[in-house]
Order: sequence, then C-alpha cells, then structure tokens
Amino acid sequence: MSYQVKENIVNIFSGLLISTIYALIIYQRHQEGRFDLTEDFTTWGVIFIIFMIVSVIARIIIYIIFHIINAIALQKEEDIPVSDERDKLIKLKATRNSHYAFSITFASVFVFLAFGMPVYGIFIAFLIGGLLSELIDNGSQIYYHSKGI
Amino acid sequence: MRFLAGELTQQQLADELKVSRQTVVAIEKGNYSPSLELAFRIARVFNTTIEEVFTYEPVKK
Repeated sequence: MSYQVKENIVNIFSGLLISTIYALIIYQRHQEGRFDLTEDFTTWGVIFIIFMIVSVIARIIIYIIFHIINAIALQKEEDIPVSDERDKLIKLKATRNSHYAFSITFASVFVFLAFGMPVYGIFIAFLIGGLLSELIDNGSQIYYHSKGI
Repeated sequence: MRFLAGELTQQQLADELKVSRQTVVAIEKGNYSPSLELAFRIARVFNTTIEEVFTYEPVKK
C-alpha cells in the first residue's frame, strides 16, 4: 500500500471520527437545553468556528499518531514521497469531484427549503455536505492511485 | 527498456526522473500517460527518442 493511499484512509477515518464525536457532543448539549439550535443561528456560527479549530488540532494529533504507527509497522521511518505531476493531477481530479458533491448538496438545500425544510436544516446539510465532499475527495484519490488516471 | 539500460530499478529510474516510484509503475502498466516534459526526460535517461519509448494507439470508439 502506497503512502498516499494510507494517508487518504487516515483522512477518511479522522474526518468521520472528528465529525461524529463533535456532532454527538453538540446534539447532547442541545438536548440538555444549553442552547436552542432551531432558533439561535449565532450559536451555529460559533459551533462551525470551533469545529474548524478542533478539526485542525485533532488532525495534527492523528497525523502524528499515524506516522508513529506507520514507522513501528515498517520498522523504519517512511520518507514522505515528493508530490510529482501524477500526484498533482490526482489531487486536482479529486478536488473537482468533491466540488461536484458539495455543489449538489448546496443546490439540494434550496430544493429542500422550498419543500418546507426548517432553516436550521441548512447548517446540518452543510455539515453533512462538507463531510461527504471530503470523503469523495479522499475516496477519489485512493481510486485514482490504485486504478490509474 | 530499464533492463537494457543496465538493469535500472523502478526506484532508480524514479529518482533519476524526480518522480515517485508509483508514477513509474503507473506509466509501465499503462495506467498513466506522462506529460510531454516527463516523456522527454524519460527518453533522455535512455538516450533515445520519445517514439522509441512510447507508442500511441487511438482509442476505438
């Protein structure tokens, strides 16, 4: 398994893990009545800002753990391969796919709003859309690295 | 071609071209068409022309 494939698998799992844990914590606090997410949109803004900060910090920690486990498994420190033209093309195509996914989510939100979805649903849809587009980005990279472009 | 050039390994060729070994593997398997610049660099490593290294077959529609 190449370094890039391993890195993308770690990205998928860390993305799912961080988002799920954070969403559960927020949902629990909403249930406890600490804030009302159906009415208070300022709180949504704070939630998203904190999520971005938490996500970056958690990913750094997960990357360090990944490199330690990888080094132990290989019994040596694996050199991070240089990004060549093929890697750049793969990243470009994966980014294109993730943008398609997020654009579809964005358009769908307005369709659902037109059919009566509550306004706070926009934020939930953006959270799911962001996660989905990230999964498609990493999944596409794994696919292109394995099957070719 | 690598074997004709002193049994060059994929890693050695990759290092020579400044690309990853996976890229060399993908080119050899036909899973990736290199850029014109990389194609020229590959040909230069083997002291030959692009036509000697690569062939082109149009995709049948």
